[in-house]
Amino acid sequence: MKLPVRQDHGFFLLLAAGVLVFTVAASPASWYLYPLLLALTGIVLYATRTWKDRVFYILCAGQPLVIALSAALVWAGLFAEWMLAGIVLAELGMLSSRNDWLTSAAFCGATLVIAAGIQASNHVLLPLFILTGIIALFAAVRILRDYQFRKQYSGAHP
Amino acid sequence: MRLKRCTQGIALLVILLFACALILDDLAILLAGSTLLAGLFGLWYSFDRRFRQAVVSVRVARSLERAVVRTGTTLRVKTAITLQVPAHMQVSVSEILPSGVVVQDGEINASSGTSALPVTWKFAYRITPVVHGTMQFSGITLVAQDTFFETSIVLSAEPFRGPVLSVQPRGLFEPSGRGSGAGNREIEKMAVLSALGVRSLREYYAGDDLRRVDWKMTAKHNKLFVREYAGIVNLPPLIIVDLPWRGALYPGDEFARMVAAVAGQVEHSTTMNHYSTVLLISGPNILHVIVEEKDLQRSLSELREWMHPVERSAHFYRMTDRSDLRRRIRALEDPSDRTPDPSLEKFLGSLKRQYLTSLEAQQTPAFNSQIGRTFSTLTVDEVYLFSLFTGDASHLHQLIRQAKTMNLRVHVRVPKGLDLVSFPVSTGLLGADTVEAFA
Repeated sequence: MKLPVRQDHGFFLLLAAGVLVFTVAASPASWYLYPLLLALTGIVLYATRTWKDRVFYILCAGQPLVIALSAALVWAGLFAEWMLAGIVLAELGMLSSRNDWLTSAAFCGATLVIAAGIQASNHVLLPLFILTGIIALFAAVRILRDYQFRKQYSGAHP
Repeated sequence: MRLKRCTQGIALLVILLFACALILDDLAILLAGSTLLAGLFGLWYSFDRRFRQAVVSVRVARSLERAVVRTGTTLRVKTAITLQVPAHMQVSVSEILPSGVVVQDGEINASSGTSALPVTWKFAYRITPVVHGTMQFSGITLVAQDTFFETSIVLSAEPFRGPVLSVQPRGLFEPSGRGSGAGNREIEKMAVLSALGVRSLREYYAGDDLRRVDWKMTAKHNKLFVREYAGIVNLPPLIIVDLPWRGALYPGDEFARMVAAVAGQVEHSTTMNHYSTVLLISGPNILHVIVEEKDLQRSLSELREWMHPVERSAHFYRMTDRSDLRRRIRALEDPSDRTPDPSLEKFLGSLKRQYLTSLEAQQTPAFNSQIGRTFSTLTVDEVYLFSLFTGDASHLHQLIRQAKTMNLRVHVRVPKGLDLVSFPVSTGLLGADTVEAFA
């Protein structure tokens, strides 16, 4: 998919537009907080453009904005997280093929389910336990499959 | 699977967010941590899928120059590895060599770029087995990495391993009485090539080549006469290069000078005599023979390939010759050297017994026979020996003795600063006709 601007800049512009719309539409009491946190993300995005592990700094800088938006509206926080993921994937060149976009869509779907679960919860403990359980199960399945795969290609019978 | 620095940082951030969410009971922080964790697992899944694709696409084709060799023989191995490098991933492969094998030269590992392409790496390297037995090439190691993860796998299943190299032992000494009996003796010798000049004429015997019949003489005497052709004259010298052992220190600048001197000698021999013959040894190991090569470029190319320190499968350490021992015994028995000192007399008697015991147990080194066989297959009357004289030089002693036995003139070329007077085997060099510095 070809965009008129660089992909990571495009996702940042979308994030900025989303934050602006949310600030204007919701008119929260501390409205100034969101542009400030957005500016922090933008500054880090610019300042780290030649750094080696840039992805980590972008994610760290974007999390305060995600948390602030989630505190007001979960879906706004989720949108910010998607845009951050878009910036990171574009930075790594991982949005160049159809397969890459499908993987990104799967990530959006999974996080949508997580956000819905969190929206339905009143406390942290239960969703955290459920999430940890699902992740542990997923990891166990992957590790088992990895073991079988290595066994097969290392000369042992599968 | 190894997490790279960036992934470790993100994992730490997730843990911190979860801890804060739990302590503050804040669902907004939990959302931030959960989405990051989901992203991390998504990346892991994607990396694992691409890694499997890469592994499944690997094809290995390996071939050996020879399947059965003796210990210390250098042979060439060619391996072609083809695989599909997945997108956003860097892949590197390396050969897994059997134990007991050393790589003399060549590359055995390679890396790809990050673009998704089918790549084919072709490795061509030379190995020297230093122990005997059956050795199998057990596969390759594949390492894959992207920005977040790194993993490796040893591919040693059936399609990736093989072929089998059978390494036969090589004794340090010749077996006694081999092939002898009923007055006959086995020899390993090539047929002698004749020159164009006629040396003599003789009567025809059944089995003689009819092309050698001299028809004029036959017509004159009414009897079949055949020509005996003369040997080749104007022989180029045999250039012997003693390469240093890789496991010991050697003077690099002197080695560079020796390489230049050898190249110069080869060039001179090719120009003046139309071809050159080079024998490459390292200690008591014969590595390679460039036999009567007419093409100077090809000779120099082969020299470039071989002229570097090599691994030795056999070593000599103060290897004495039977004639040396006998000479020492004779010196001890010389009545003119008798001393009245009884303790010294006792010591000399003990030394003589030691020499006699050594003489009884003395065996002929295999290197001597190999050198003898090599000399006998080559038509030379002069030998140029280049060596750095680092470490033990018993093999050079043996080599010079063999050459002198076959009436070859021996010219030894040594490093400029070598102190031959204090050198332990300087006596071995006395048999040489000339000793000069090659610088």
